[in-house]
Amino acid sequence: MGIPTVSIIGNAFMRQADVVSRGLGLPLAYAEYPGAPMVDGVEELSTKVRNTLAPGIIKGLTQGRDTPSSVAIETEPTPGSVIMNGTLDEIQEYFYRKLWTDGMPIIPPTQKRIDEFLKFTDRKPDEVLRAVPQEGREVTILGIAITGCLSGCRPEYMPLLIAVIEAMCDPEFHIEHCGSTPGWEPLVVVSGPIIKQLDFNYGQGVMRVGRQANTTVGRFVRMFLRNICGYRIPPGAGDKGSISFTFNVALAEDEDTAREIGWPTYGMDQGFKPEDSVVTVRSVVAITPPTYSGGDEAIDHVQQFADVMGATFTYWSHTGMKRGYWHPLIVVGPSIARVIAREWSKDDVRKYLFNNVKVTAGKATHFAQMTSTPTFSLPKLVAEGTLPKEYHESDDPERLVRVFIHEAMTGILVAGDPGRNQSRGYMGNHDQAPPTSRKVMLPKNWDALLAQKHV
Amino acid sequence: MPDSSAQEPRYEALWPLTRRAVEDRNTAPRIPDLNGKVIGELWDVIFRGETIYPQVREHVRAKFPGAKFVEYSEFGNFYGPKGEAIASTLADKLKAHKVDAVIVGIGA
Repeated sequence: MGIPTVSIIGNAFMRQADVVSRGLGLPLAYAEYPGAPMVDGVEELSTKVRNTLAPGIIKGLTQGRDTPSSVAIETEPTPGSVIMNGTLDEIQEYFYRKLWTDGMPIIPPTQKRIDEFLKFTDRKPDEVLRAVPQEGREVTILGIAITGCLSGCRPEYMPLLIAVIEAMCDPEFHIEHCGSTPGWEPLVVVSGPIIKQLDFNYGQGVMRVGRQANTTVGRFVRMFLRNICGYRIPPGAGDKGSISFTFNVALAEDEDTAREIGWPTYGMDQGFKPEDSVVTVRSVVAITPPTYSGGDEAIDHVQQFADVMGATFTYWSHTGMKRGYWHPLIVVGPSIARVIAREWSKDDVRKYLFNNVKVTAGKATHFAQMTSTPTFSLPKLVAEGTLPKEYHESDDPERLVRVFIHEAMTGILVAGDPGRNQSRGYMGNHDQAPPTSRKVMLPKNWDALLAQKHV
Repeated sequence: MPDSSAQEPRYEALWPLTRRAVEDRNTAPRIPDLNGKVIGELWDVIFRGETIYPQVREHVRAKFPGAKFVEYSEFGNFYGPKGEAIASTLADKLKAHKVDAVIVGIGA
């Protein structure tokens, strides 16, 4: 439009601003706010606006930035070309210094290894799915194969890896928010026959490293975000997770138990057939304590979910309120699922949580104001139509409002140790990466290819 | 024990990144004198913009008394629940308000 802009950026975010700027191909002008505005007193904020921010804004609009982007753009190699010939140690060191690893040793992506991955898809290596933030790089089938190889995936994981990336490339996933400060981490949920075909763990220790499929698929997601999207922690830039946590291993459902107890599988909840192999990718920003529950009635367990998991979800519920939805996930231990399912469907569980997990309006508002939004207002969110009217039945700060905004929002799946009475909750980051599913498309000769591999 | 003097295997490693599909462009020309110009405000409704933007207006007006502002409330929250819908209206709104320059915030 030919309109000059200047962006207000906290000084700790300048390098990320550079990454975004390069990814857009525009040398954007920024004005610096020194420090973190959320912790500055009124006078300190005014001083910083007067001495630094306002002059920077004026300069940004009248003169532009002093220098081009601080990260120089090098001429880059051709995709799929050999970048170095070295011993294992030499390759590890080179890739690490170039910020092409996640800090752990990688499997050198040789042409031979990549060819093995490409055998497991009918799609062409140079097919482009889309260009992704933050660096504006293309997502290609070749890039997926190389990232999978680096991460220690087996070649036969390739169809699943493609489906994972397709889900992440869906605009509704909002991959542009993968570097946000809450430091959320994607979680891949695996459904359907591919669970057993690729030997995913869905039982005891389901969320721990140790099984190659679960572990390397989880690692692959973080490697993709680093290498193809450009989300890196220092000495790189682009990933602004403040404290963060690290990659989630992929989570597969105990579909045998789900079927035995008459619950739809998680894949079926997402709208797929039981015979479809599906991946669902979603954000996880916090995990609840291990939630032990006892008793032979459904209410014994679901009330415990409400009390224990609800406590974790309560603090972050304001982020869902700001947008009108979010996506908690409950992983129910198989022995507990058996008890619950004797009386309740998954929808009954959702309804109970919807009706019984609440927070005071005052607390939700306080949590929102502490996080980032001093202007958070439930009345305003209701007036805008973001929240139902019940969120502003009065102005009493002690009035209770729902943590689970809509019944259907809560994901439920069965996994974990069948010999123990433990479940766990996984909290998503509002509308950043809501559960986004893709069917795994298998190559024509999948069965024959798989038979050649020792799984 | 294996002979440690034996030659280690070497690997030809492929470049792990993909092509950057971005066309590098210049930004819009700057405006040396903001007097008589209309400055639009875009705000993501976080990080104390409700305090920062009014102060910024004062400081800009102190240097350029003829600068005019179209405040952020006119444009809506491009980062909120209806962010994409609001973002799609921005070009038309900027034109309608005859905006000459924009302050975008706040990333912190």
